[in-house]
Amino acid sequence: MAQQLKPGNRERHGVTKFFAWLPLVALAIFILTPLLSSLTYSFFRSDGSFTTSGLTGLADSGRIVAPLTRSLIVSVLAAVVLIATVVPAVVAVHLWAPKMRSVLSILCTLPLVVPAIAIVAGLSAVLRNLASHGRGSLGMELNAILQSQDLPLVLVGTYVVLCLPFTYRSIDAGLSTLPLRTLYESSSILGARMGTTLWQVVMPNIRGPIMFSAFFTFALSIAEYTVAATLSINTLPVFLNTLSSTNFRGSITLSVLLNLTTWLLLASATLSASRFGHRSTAEPEANVANEPRKEAEIS
Amino acid sequence: MSTAAKSPPLQAAAERRDESMSVRFDQVGKSYGDTEVLRDFSIDIAAGSMVSFLGPSGCGKTTTLRILAGFEPVNSGDVIVGGDSVLQLPPNQRSMGMVFQSYSLFPNLSVFDNIEYGLRIRKVDGGARRRRSEELLEICGLTEMGTRYPHQLSGGQQQRVALARALATQPKVLLLDEPLSALDASVRSSLRDEIRRVQQTLGTTTVFITHDQGEALAIADRVAVMNAGRIEQYSAPHEIYSRPATAFVARFVGSINEFAVPANWATGDRLPIASGADDVIFVRPENLSIAARDDGFLQVKRQTYTGERTMLHLGRPGSENAQWSASISSADADALQTGTRVEAAVTADAALRLPRGEAEGATP
Repeated sequence: MAQQLKPGNRERHGVTKFFAWLPLVALAIFILTPLLSSLTYSFFRSDGSFTTSGLTGLADSGRIVAPLTRSLIVSVLAAVVLIATVVPAVVAVHLWAPKMRSVLSILCTLPLVVPAIAIVAGLSAVLRNLASHGRGSLGMELNAILQSQDLPLVLVGTYVVLCLPFTYRSIDAGLSTLPLRTLYESSSILGARMGTTLWQVVMPNIRGPIMFSAFFTFALSIAEYTVAATLSINTLPVFLNTLSSTNFRGSITLSVLLNLTTWLLLASATLSASRFGHRSTAEPEANVANEPRKEAEIS
Repeated sequence: MSTAAKSPPLQAAAERRDESMSVRFDQVGKSYGDTEVLRDFSIDIAAGSMVSFLGPSGCGKTTTLRILAGFEPVNSGDVIVGGDSVLQLPPNQRSMGMVFQSYSLFPNLSVFDNIEYGLRIRKVDGGARRRRSEELLEICGLTEMGTRYPHQLSGGQQQRVALARALATQPKVLLLDEPLSALDASVRSSLRDEIRRVQQTLGTTTVFITHDQGEALAIADRVAVMNAGRIEQYSAPHEIYSRPATAFVARFVGSINEFAVPANWATGDRLPIASGADDVIFVRPENLSIAARDDGFLQVKRQTYTGERTMLHLGRPGSENAQWSASISSADADALQTGTRVEAAVTADAALRLPRGEAEGATP
């Protein structure tokens, strides 16, 4: 039977509840106020009338296409490269060198403690050094390839490094829930090579962490400004900053859209991590107790 | 559960009891660092037979299986399957099937897809794959389970699927690594019989690893009892039980009584002899006959009723310990209540007789 709270207790309970929610409310205000203000500024004139001039201005100029394409290509490539390198590496360590897990963990977490701007400073020095070899030299060629405006590989590499800690953690946690060794051995003895095992057995069972990593990397890469601006590569956020001097309303509109896209991607990352992780959940090796009740069905 | 009539591919497998399915370990040595796991390990496994490797934890039985599967390299010796050395072949080219203790089904695949996995890798066409998996589902008693996922099955059902998956590719050798250890007693015994039936139906050479002596004796054509990386005895189950070759086998398999006897002691003489002992005889509880006698050397310490038979636990008068045991008909148990002085005689030849020095120090 539910126990009735005395009036004094009820008040105290209410106050406790209010204080529990207070940080969340404050956070929501902190995040939503600038977003709503930007949204209002994007679509309403100072007299309160509705306008889409920000959007049409963006579309008319056509200058957005190149940075948008560049950002999309770089972000997709960063996600693909990251998954394609981290998954096999972490699987290999889990299978054949479990003692190296701590070393790999430290290495992969290192980018967290190095600020992006420090990475860029180092990269700039390397690129300058490559360029200093003079026109026609291998260093200069390499520099040109890395910083090509069509496909700035230097950005792909940097974003891979920046997203490495999160991807590693996610994949490592996903693999830890699988009886990886026996799955690998089962697949091998049935005739599969390592690649087939990876593609048909391991990856489908860590779809959640892989999707999370892919969305997360894409979201972080498409919204990254510091590295691209310092290396003078015109990605979407850099274009957005430039645009603010000529079409302020357009830049704010673009900023809001970019923000919403990033949020949607991150939400997808979180949702996919929980949804795809659900059905493929494997029983850990120790947890193999059976259920006699079900057994009776076929006896 | 019905046994399916064998279709042509399964028939072919059953008829393939030729030399291509025999297994031979030839003086195999295996160490992990300074720890020697297998020492000059040799064994011949006949094509189409089922052999149990039985031994305590750490005796090297699982290592033996993993060497055969190709998951562990050897330090010396050779492993020969069907007349050819397989040491240079990776696991995916050895044509073996394996069932693990932890089932190890692919959680993302349905039962059908799990069974067809090996066939898909061998690029068997879809129709043949489906026919094969349906046959195996029927043989393994899983007819209605094809579309389910592993997490929707019980432990016993999962292990049946694992067995069907391992057999789908018609392996030369089937390796079972303690497949029943994770199951409860009732499922264990029914699945044990299922495994034996399926093995006999298909005639696949099978190696069964277990630390459970009951399982090993019940399921196999021959049992290899292992201790510290060596085979102590490799014989038919009844020989392992009734004629153990070493003190270790005698003590590890089943219950056994040990009596110290003089060199001139013969079957039928009174037991035990307290002094002047030169030999140790090993006698099964059912091979002891017990009779009440006021000056008997032994005393009944307690009884354990098991239905048709009753186990008498015997010790020296005045001692608390029950050192020996005898299995008698429950009808005779009333006359041999706790505290009764008795004498024992050996009704058949002792399972094993060893000089005292040799019998000591071989405890499992």
